[in-house]
Amino acid sequence: MTPSRLTLKLLAACLALATAPLAHAAPTQGFLETIHKHVTLASTVTDNGDLNPYAVVIAPVSAGKIAKDDVLVDNFNDISNLQGTGTTIVDYNPATKKTTQFAEVPRKLAQCPGGVGLSTAMTMLKSGWVIVGSTPSLDGTTRTKGDGCLLVLDPNGKLVATWSGPTINDPWGNMAVIDRGDTATLFISMSGFGLPGPDVLDPKTHYPVIVRKATVLRLEISIPEGKAPLLVSQTVVGDGFAQRADRDNFLFGPTGLALDKDGTLYVTDGLDDVITAIPNAVTRTDSAGTGRVVTQGQLLQWPLAMAWSPQGHLLVCNGKNGQVVEVDPASGKQIYAQWIDSDQAQSPPGNGDLFGLAMTPDGSGFYYVEDDMNTLVKAAPR
Amino acid sequence: MTSRRGFLTGAAGLAGAAGVLAGARPGVAKPQPMAPADFAFFGEHQAGIVTPQQLHTYFAAFDLTADKREDVAAVLRAWTAAAARMSAGLTAVDLGESADQPPADSGEALGLSPARLTVTFGFGPGLFVKDGKDRYGLAARRPEALIDLPRFNGDQLIPARTGGDLAVQACADDPQVAFHAVRTLARLADGVAQFRWVQAGFTSGGKAGETPRNLMGFKDGTMNPATTDPALMDATVWVGDEGGWMRGGSYMVARPIRVALEHWDRMKLSFQEQTVGRRKLSGAPLGKTREFDPLDLDALDKDGNPVIPENSHVRLGAPAANEGAQILRRAYSYDNGLAFIAERWPPWRQGMQIDSGLLFICYQRDPRTGFVKIFENMAKFDMMNQFVTHIGGGLFACPPGAKAGRFVGQGLFEVV
Repeated sequence: MTPSRLTLKLLAACLALATAPLAHAAPTQGFLETIHKHVTLASTVTDNGDLNPYAVVIAPVSAGKIAKDDVLVDNFNDISNLQGTGTTIVDYNPATKKTTQFAEVPRKLAQCPGGVGLSTAMTMLKSGWVIVGSTPSLDGTTRTKGDGCLLVLDPNGKLVATWSGPTINDPWGNMAVIDRGDTATLFISMSGFGLPGPDVLDPKTHYPVIVRKATVLRLEISIPEGKAPLLVSQTVVGDGFAQRADRDNFLFGPTGLALDKDGTLYVTDGLDDVITAIPNAVTRTDSAGTGRVVTQGQLLQWPLAMAWSPQGHLLVCNGKNGQVVEVDPASGKQIYAQWIDSDQAQSPPGNGDLFGLAMTPDGSGFYYVEDDMNTLVKAAPR
Repeated sequence: MTSRRGFLTGAAGLAGAAGVLAGARPGVAKPQPMAPADFAFFGEHQAGIVTPQQLHTYFAAFDLTADKREDVAAVLRAWTAAAARMSAGLTAVDLGESADQPPADSGEALGLSPARLTVTFGFGPGLFVKDGKDRYGLAARRPEALIDLPRFNGDQLIPARTGGDLAVQACADDPQVAFHAVRTLARLADGVAQFRWVQAGFTSGGKAGETPRNLMGFKDGTMNPATTDPALMDATVWVGDEGGWMRGGSYMVARPIRVALEHWDRMKLSFQEQTVGRRKLSGAPLGKTREFDPLDLDALDKDGNPVIPENSHVRLGAPAANEGAQILRRAYSYDNGLAFIAERWPPWRQGMQIDSGLLFICYQRDPRTGFVKIFENMAKFDMMNQFVTHIGGGLFACPPGAKAGRFVGQGLFEVV
C-alpha cells in the first residue's frame, strides 16, 4: 500500500459523506465501506524490466503453468518506460505468494500491426486459453502507434494465434466475457481508430485533438476441443466514443467494460468522465452508438477499468486521482469513492497510477495494480 | 622522509633558488615532528570502514590497463606506501629536491592537517576476470562472495559510472586532503590503471554522536550496527575464516543514487515521513518519540494497516524485515551541479535539475547476505524509489589491513 493511505482515506470518507448525505440512515450503502486494508502482494516488474502493470485477471481454472485463482497481470511498458512496448504477463499465486513470468511475447510480430504493447484487454477462459490485446507504439506515444491485435496464448504462455483486421484497432480496456466452455463472447473497447499523435493539437483548446471513432467490438469465438480458439464473427455494438492522445496516459478512450446479467454492457470513457449503457449487447446486430448515459462527472475522473461488486454495483478505477468509485448502475447513483492509491508523489495523489482491477474469487475484496510502484495490491476487509 | 612542513622549507628553497616565486621567503619553518596519524593506516583491518565517518570523501574506481600481475602489485605497493604517508600528514612520496623534475607531490595538501584521512582500497571483479580473461592469473583466487551484482529493479546504471577493477575511498575532514589523496594515487598508477569514475561526497558535521542528515533532510544511518561492538563487527562487517586471503577484510558496495530533490521538496511533511517511516525532525520511528526507539513493525492502526507503512524505507531496510541481515552504511551526499534529467516516475518531469544524491557506501562480511539480500526487496517496494535512482556503482573486495612493510592485498598476490 502507499503511505498516507490512512490520511487520504479520511478524505475519501468525507467525500463519501458529501456525496451520500443519507449515510446515517442506511446500514450499508455498498461495497467500498467494507474495504479497509491494502496489502502489497508482489512486484509486477519482470526480469526484462517491463513496467506499468495494466490488466488484472483471475484464473478461472488450473491449466498449464497457471493455478486456479492465480492473478495474471500484464505490462504495457518495457524497461525504457515507453508506453505500448511491454510484452510480458506475470502470474501471482496467492497460495504460495510467488510471482512467476507467465509469458513473454515477441516485441515484433508480423501478424500484429505495429508490434506488441500489452494492454488491459486480457482474459483467461475456462478452457485455459489466455487472450490479450496489443496496443503498440514505437516511441511511447500514439504518434507511432500501430493498429495492434489480439494475441491468443496457451496456458503455458505460448503464442498460438494472432487476430487482427479492420475492426481491431488498439484493443484497450478490460474485457467483458461470457465463457460457455466451448464458445465464448468477448467485448473489447477499440480506442485507436483515427487517433493521431499527441502533438496534433486542437487550436481552440491547445490539447490534442479529440476524435470520436472508438468502438466496442463483440467477438464470438469457438473453442474446439484441444485446439486454439477460432474467431467466428464480430459485431460493432458501440461506436462514436471519444478519444484523445495523451503524452502521459497514452490515450483516453472507451476503456472499462462490465456486462450485466440482462445483457446490458456498461462502458467507461475516460475523456468524457462517463459511464454509458449499451442495451442488448449480447444479441444486438447493430451499434448502439455510445449508448445511454448512466452517470457522468462528479467522482468519475478519467474512469478506467470496471468490475462488479457482490451487490451488483460497478467499481471503477479513476485514472486521474487514484480513487475507485462505486456506482449503482440501476439508479445511476455514484455512491462514494475510496482513495486506494493516495501516493502524493503524484498530483492529485495517485494520478496515473491505477488501471486494472478484479474482484477476489470470494468477493470480499479486489486486486488492483499501482503503476507508480509497479505492484499488485489487494484491497480487503479489516 | 619529507614532512609537509619540511617540504615547505625545501620548496621555498627551490623557489628561491629558481627565482620563480616572487616574494617567496627563504625557509622559515622549523622542521616539526611528524604528526601522528589520526587513524593508523597499518593494522588488522583497513581504515575507513569502521572508522568514525569523516566529513568528506573522494571516491574513485579504476580500470586496470596493465598486462602483468607484477605491475598491478607494484602499484598496490606504491599506493600503500603513499596512503600511509598521506594519512600521517606527509607528502605522498619523498620529494627530493630536483628542480628539473615535476614535483613528485602536487602539493595542495602541504601544510594541511591530515584531517583524519583514511584511504581504503578495494578490488573489483575485473581484477580477477575481465571480459572472460584471467589477465593476471588471479581468477582462481576470486572470492565467491565477490559476485557480479545482479540487476536490481529500477537500476539505471550508466556504464561510465559503473564497475571498476580497483576502488579507492579517500575520506577526510578536509575535501582538499581527500581529493589530493586520490589525485596522487591516480598519478602513481599511471600506465597501470586509469580512472573509470569518481564521486566526491560530503556529510553534515553535527554534534558528536548525532546521526548525520542526508539531502532529503532525514537522519541517515540510525540503524547502523555499533562499530564499537567488535563481536558485532566480526559478525556483520569483517570477513572470517571463510574468506582465505580476504579474512579481516570487508566487501564494499558503492552506488551513486540520484535523488529527485525538487520533486521531494514538493511533498508534504507527513508524506515524506511515511515514505521514510520516521519523523523528520526527531528521527523517531513513526509511532515513537525518540530516534533510537526500537521500530515496532507489528504496530497496526485501527484498520489493520501498519503504523510504519509496509513500503516505507525504514521497514524494508530493517534487520527484522530481512532475517537479521545487517550492513554498515557509510554514505555521503553528493552534488554534481546541474544536469538535464528525465525523472523515471510520474509526473515524469524533465529539464535542468540539481544533479545530487547519495553516494551510498556500505560494508559487509558477505554481500549475498548483506546488500543484495536487503536491496532486492527495497528495489521493488520502497516508496522512496519514486525519488531515487541508482545510476552506477560496483562491488569491491576490500582486503584486510596491511602490516608495516607489506602492501594492502599482498595476500592475494602471494601463493599463486
